[in-house]
Amino acid sequence: MKPFAVALAALFASAAGAGSPPASTAGMGPPRGQPLSGAALDARTEDVGGLLRCPVCQGLSVADSPSTMARNMKAEVREKLAAGYDQEQILAYFERSYGEFVRLEPSLHGVNWVVWFGPILALLAGGAAIAWALKRTGRKASVDSSAPAADLPARDTLPGDEQLAAAVRRVRALAYGWPGGIPPKAAP
Amino acid sequence: MTTALTPGAGTPPQASRINRKVLIAGIAIVVPLLAVLVANLGRDPHTVRSPLVGRQAPPFSLVPVGGGRPVTLESLRGKPAVINFWATWCVPCFEEHAALTAAAKGLRDVQFLGIVYEDDEARTLEFVKQRGSAYPSLMDADGRVAIAYGVFGVPETFFIDGNGRIVEKYVGPLQRSTIAALVEQARGEGR
Amino acid sequence: MLPILGRTLILLALLAASAGAVTGFVTGKNPSPAGWTWTRRLAYAFAAFMVLANLTMEYALLTHDFSVSYVAHVGSRAVPTWVSIVSLWSSLEGSILFWGLVMGAYVAFATWRNADRHPEYMPYAVGVWLACGAFFSFLLAGPAQPFATVANPLADGPGPNPLLQNHYLMVIHPPFLYSGYVGMTIPFGLACAALLVGRLGNDFIRPLRNFLLLSWIFLTCAIVLGGWWAYEVLGWGGYWAWDPVENASFLPWLTATAALHSALLVERKGVLKAWTVILVLSTYLLTILGTFMTRSGVFNSVHSFTQSAIGPTILVFLAAALLFSLALLALRVDTLGADGRLETGPSRDVLFLVQNLLFVLFTFTVLLGTVFPLVVEAVRGVQMSVGRPYFDRMSVPIGVALLFVMGVGPALPWGRATPRQLRSALLPPLVGACLLGAVGLALGVRNPWTVLALFFGGYTAQVTLSEMFLPVRQRMRSHGEGLLEAFRQTQSRGRRRLGAYIVHAGAVVAIVAVAVSSTMGSSKEIQLRKGEATTLGAYTFTFVAAEKVVEPHRDSLLARVDVSKGGRSLGSLYPRMNQYESQREPIGSPAVRSSLTEDLYLSIHNIDTDAGTVGLLVLVNPMVTWIWIATGVMALGGLVALLPRLRSATAPARVAAPSAPIALGGSN
Repeated sequence: MKPFAVALAALFASAAGAGSPPASTAGMGPPRGQPLSGAALDARTEDVGGLLRCPVCQGLSVADSPSTMARNMKAEVREKLAAGYDQEQILAYFERSYGEFVRLEPSLHGVNWVVWFGPILALLAGGAAIAWALKRTGRKASVDSSAPAADLPARDTLPGDEQLAAAVRRVRALAYGWPGGIPPKAAP
Repeated sequence: MTTALTPGAGTPPQASRINRKVLIAGIAIVVPLLAVLVANLGRDPHTVRSPLVGRQAPPFSLVPVGGGRPVTLESLRGKPAVINFWATWCVPCFEEHAALTAAAKGLRDVQFLGIVYEDDEARTLEFVKQRGSAYPSLMDADGRVAIAYGVFGVPETFFIDGNGRIVEKYVGPLQRSTIAALVEQARGEGR
Repeated sequence: MLPILGRTLILLALLAASAGAVTGFVTGKNPSPAGWTWTRRLAYAFAAFMVLANLTMEYALLTHDFSVSYVAHVGSRAVPTWVSIVSLWSSLEGSILFWGLVMGAYVAFATWRNADRHPEYMPYAVGVWLACGAFFSFLLAGPAQPFATVANPLADGPGPNPLLQNHYLMVIHPPFLYSGYVGMTIPFGLACAALLVGRLGNDFIRPLRNFLLLSWIFLTCAIVLGGWWAYEVLGWGGYWAWDPVENASFLPWLTATAALHSALLVERKGVLKAWTVILVLSTYLLTILGTFMTRSGVFNSVHSFTQSAIGPTILVFLAAALLFSLALLALRVDTLGADGRLETGPSRDVLFLVQNLLFVLFTFTVLLGTVFPLVVEAVRGVQMSVGRPYFDRMSVPIGVALLFVMGVGPALPWGRATPRQLRSALLPPLVGACLLGAVGLALGVRNPWTVLALFFGGYTAQVTLSEMFLPVRQRMRSHGEGLLEAFRQTQSRGRRRLGAYIVHAGAVVAIVAVAVSSTMGSSKEIQLRKGEATTLGAYTFTFVAAEKVVEPHRDSLLARVDVSKGGRSLGSLYPRMNQYESQREPIGSPAVRSSLTEDLYLSIHNIDTDAGTVGLLVLVNPMVTWIWIATGVMALGGLVALLPRLRSATAPARVAAPSAPIALGGSN
């Protein structure tokens, strides 16, 4: 039954190709999918239309755009789905006239791998970095168990480095006129 | 607050030296990013090169404005063709139409064709009547041919050689000199 | 006359900013009271000149002085006064002038607030701000000159972009966006100062965080206002299309959100200082990259301004800022060592790291997708697209993971926890999770990601609410106070904490609303003749009439569509097509009937008043209103967390009151 339906659709498509709009199926080959109709056709039209870039509106997909061009393209997608062409065949058809530009989702080949797997690699690298940092902290913690310095009230504190602390005092003395860089209210 | 000025127990800052890891990671991000931005500077993203140039023109069969027998791409075989996508709502198309009409009158061995893009037949007929035309304009009611030719807007013009191969696609209004040059190219490659 | 005045003011601003940048850096290196005083004066002078330059432009716009090139470009005698006022930011040159105004205001405010604090950092910070200010002044003095003299001015101008007049949201969106974008200059300067000084103490993380939060609030509002505008105007029924310009505003928001969280760890634990500084620097650099994206014409976008010499100039500045940041980081980042350490077991600490990783991953993914077509163009010479399907596919798992972390993180205690503590912290919220998940399933949600979003949304909502009211409950128990009194007491003490959880509550609602609205909507395209009706779900739409309305600045075709639900009339909707004189394509104005549960959205494809036919796109979008409400809640939460800090900072003694570590760590 199935092959028969496909063959029938192909026959129909080629007949249609010979008739009124010969452009629409030129070079597409025989349909590779099942002819759709009804609600399934509506849903697939939206899906495939969502993967096609509307040429006149930049950014929006054929499924989203309200422009005439997008609606024409959507109608064509619908016809091709009804005739049994599959998603890849339809995308390839539009790609032949508009180039790779028309695909909103980069196809998986060549340099495009970067855009798909870059984020996954970044996730793995980031996870590894966190795990490594935690492990290092954990090891350090077991060696040195002194109280963390963050628990000190940090406002108006000075850096641990002697030289730097002296510099900060000098700056404060100059800027605020605090003698010795110590705020008056903090002085005993 | 009296003890506030006791030195914090922070790790003493290390002597100023370059953090190699940060530097390398930073360069790995910054340099390619800048290179890509510089490489694309001045490029107009709104003009997309047509992948159809050098390929066989997509076939069509369309009825001329005002009715008549359908014109097919097949029927143009053997001589160069100029296919101009246009519309009456497109202001730059007006002047171009005059240039194309003049060119069509001069170049008898070249088949000129207009394909009407997203426009009304009555309005187109009116326009052609008023301004005159030396070549047929075809109605592309559901935009299928425009889509097959990868049209983004109007005016766009395709130059096709005698074997039905697209030699060049021109975006924007054409001048007479450009038409002549591109027709010459189509003629040369058709031989 | 006005062009010369304007140009003089810009040059003076450039002069003040350049001089201030120099004195700032010199004073930072060799501290002196006079140097600091002069740096401040020059910062105020820069702000004053920017304000005056903007006032000059407003005066020129209002008096229709077409000898000023910008007025000749966007002005018109025909437009209402309010349009003349907002024309300041309607086009490229004016928007950069307005940028200068916002920058001046921020620099003056931040300088004034910290005039007698953080003396070792502030001169550097002001120096960095004014260096950025000098660049934008230079942009205004040269490539983006709005005050060029028009030799033979015309009597009238074309008026601003009709999109600006088409919807009020387009008027208020840019000021929010610039306040968010430009505001990131302040934390950038502070972070650079921390690197230059070689120290990031707890005292200094506060101004850094407060200004980051302030800009974050504006940016959050701006992003959603942009989406709302798209929803109300563009007519395709969505609010976010992952357009490069939309991404440009989203990228710094992501890193800023990450930085706000990591700054908390700096403050509480003394860790992640270098990382926080990197995030703050990245945020600013991404705003400049975003500015380049919108103003260079390199990116293929609906929203971008046209090509000009401004693009290359911004690119030079971006390169300079990138290299400066990179050099500064490489040389000084090791000075920002940790004072404390992180808990390594399952704890809130670790979840903060996971949160940061997810936000940075999100940033990386969006940036990669946005820039990738340019990479391919440069490498292969082929034009390609990375659009909504890609971004949706990538961002949905990250968004759901963030929702998960937002629930689990606050549920976990700081520091180490026993298995029993973990169980009692993590298990109860499963009630909320199952409840919301079940409600979703009962209402017909079938998309697995949406179900997951509802499940985690319920979990996070329960955690957020219980955390929000935990101090209240504790106080009611310990002090025997009533609910209201306890709430008043706790909220005045833990304002920041309360604010943070309000933001979280808003974020949960926003993510759930986005998930539901993008997967549970229904739509239909239909061609109707006068008197015909169509149904979608429980609604019936009847096309009653097509009318033509002529207004002074535009002609409109509108369709009257009566809507009823289950036989009960809901009134009429009037989707329209507005035709402006200066535009060929009409601009659609969809009609939206919003309610808390769902929006009815009608947009015209084509309309023929003579034949009495209309082509309509009819959509039912559930929960969209909740996105706008949730954003308001997030902004409110940000303000709750921010305002007491701004107020109390003027009375520093109260903030500096014994910040015992036990009090900090105990109640959370």
